[in-house]
Amino acid sequence: MLEIKDLHVAVGGKEILKGLTLSIAAGKVHAIMGPNGSGKSTLSYVLAGRAGYEIMQGSIRYNGEDLNTLPPEERAAKGVFLAMQYPVEIPGVTTLNFLKTALNAQHRARGEKELDAMSVLKFVRKKAAALKISEEMLKRALNVGFSGGEKKRLEILQMALFEPKLAILDETDSGLDIDALKLVAEGVNALRAPDRAMLVITHYQRLLNFIVPDRIHVLAGGRIVAEGGKELAHELEAKGYEHIAGKAA
Amino acid sequence: MVPWIDARRAEAAERFRALGLPHRRIENWKYTDLKSALAGANDSEPGAIAWSISPVPSAIELFDLADLADAPGWVQAHLGKAAMAEAMPAASLALARTGFALRVPKGVAVAEILRVAFSGTGHGRALIVLEEGASLTLVESRVAERGFSNIGIEIVVGPNAHFTHIRSADAAPDAIQVEDVAIRVARDASYRAHLMNGGASLSRLNLRMTLKEPGANAKLSGVSVLGGKLHADVTTEIYHASGETQSTQLFKHVAGGQSHVVYQGKITVAEGADKSDSRQTAKALLLGERAEADLKPELEIFADDVKCAHGAAVGDLDADSLFYLRARGIPEGEARNVLIRAFLEEAVTEIADDGIREAVWASVENALSKAIAL
Repeated sequence: MLEIKDLHVAVGGKEILKGLTLSIAAGKVHAIMGPNGSGKSTLSYVLAGRAGYEIMQGSIRYNGEDLNTLPPEERAAKGVFLAMQYPVEIPGVTTLNFLKTALNAQHRARGEKELDAMSVLKFVRKKAAALKISEEMLKRALNVGFSGGEKKRLEILQMALFEPKLAILDETDSGLDIDALKLVAEGVNALRAPDRAMLVITHYQRLLNFIVPDRIHVLAGGRIVAEGGKELAHELEAKGYEHIAGKAA
Repeated sequence: MVPWIDARRAEAAERFRALGLPHRRIENWKYTDLKSALAGANDSEPGAIAWSISPVPSAIELFDLADLADAPGWVQAHLGKAAMAEAMPAASLALARTGFALRVPKGVAVAEILRVAFSGTGHGRALIVLEEGASLTLVESRVAERGFSNIGIEIVVGPNAHFTHIRSADAAPDAIQVEDVAIRVARDASYRAHLMNGGASLSRLNLRMTLKEPGANAKLSGVSVLGGKLHADVTTEIYHASGETQSTQLFKHVAGGQSHVVYQGKITVAEGADKSDSRQTAKALLLGERAEADLKPELEIFADDVKCAHGAAVGDLDADSLFYLRARGIPEGEARNVLIRAFLEEAVTEIADDGIREAVWASVENALSKAIAL
């Protein structure tokens, strides 16, 4: 589903990713672990299509299509979803209205029927309950005054609503206590499906106790330096990034 | 011959001659050069401002200022009293022969919303008096026409009275519009205003207010939405004459094309006006590379124990927010629209009445569709 080959990405003229190669098949959950500054967030932004992330070399193919030519909204409509590390607060836009606008924009882009306000509300309510997102939260301005846990739950709610084919979760565990983490992980696990690939990006092994990946890649200095099964997370936790990265180098 | 008004008009004419037409070397007209605009307008016919008003409930007294020979005591008591401080209200007092005066008698709470529309060119005056315990909501609109107009309004809010003032001016690309609103607010009384400004070739709204006695409070909010080469200047001066007075201001401006938006907000807290509280926020969103915003908050505090907060910011749409919306599938143009409306929302939400708020939103939408297209 996703094939990244020899990807070099520069931000503000500085090369951050230096030849990253990675592929994920439908139905699989891969994790990327890496220390701060290794290029984790750059990878997530370049996949989602953020401006200012320049591909110098290499390719990203998504279902055979060159992702680099598409603006962010078209990637979203084609099923790419990025759960962000820092969801933005937008005063003046209610959460529910935002969800409706986004859902219908994606429907429109795919030539599907748009949903009326009532259908959106029903759909959102159904998915929100499992994530303990209240009606009151949906009426508030988008992410404004939300706790860290509420923001991350709202990201997962969007993932449930948009039903992406490729979900990238950027540091979804950051800022969460253990209960919030479990709730979010349950939400993510419920969305595991044979036709959906996931890329879980994290600094810590903790999240991977709850979202167990099929494969782990260690990112350091802008490239993958180690790969393995789920047991690699424990090795990292025990020995640290330097040990693994050093061994690879 | 009506001696009392003749004397006031003569004094106003003298005052206007002394001050002259405002131009950019006068500090608080720095961003709005009326003199040059009028020199270039080549507007020979003075004309007369016309006004129309929705049906007035029987409890309210309406007086036509064309008939000043028969003016009742309350008109004589107030008309022109707040006109001498500045050139333009002095000019409208001296030269206007049209306008209206309204009195809401003591204790009368008017449930109906009054609507008044000004049209035409030239000078016009209005006087609104709310006696003790009265309340009124007035929606004022300006018809977009070619030419120069100068309106002077005086508002007297008596003790424990409450006045809500909505002003909506659609874009008037060929008009030079000046309006001066002078307000006095008495003990425990309130003045609320929402000012929706679509801009003009030159548009200046001057709002000068005195919070006279303890408990007097003012809440102002407004939006300007400009495109093309439009200009809009909202200048407020609030004088906290007494302690325990409050004022809040929230202005949001969107400037596209080559438009020019101005907000000047001067707050003065008089000596001894302790425990007064004033807040002002002005923000501008520049959507055109050649659009300009000048925001100038100003504080003068002569009292010791006061709360004052002010902030001003000019910027573009937030890149993080724009990316977030686009990454959720919302196309760039639509995402920008969402963020522009979200930016304005905070100020429009201040309007309590649902019907008025929706009407103001409709004006904002109309102005946005023009401002963004240009």
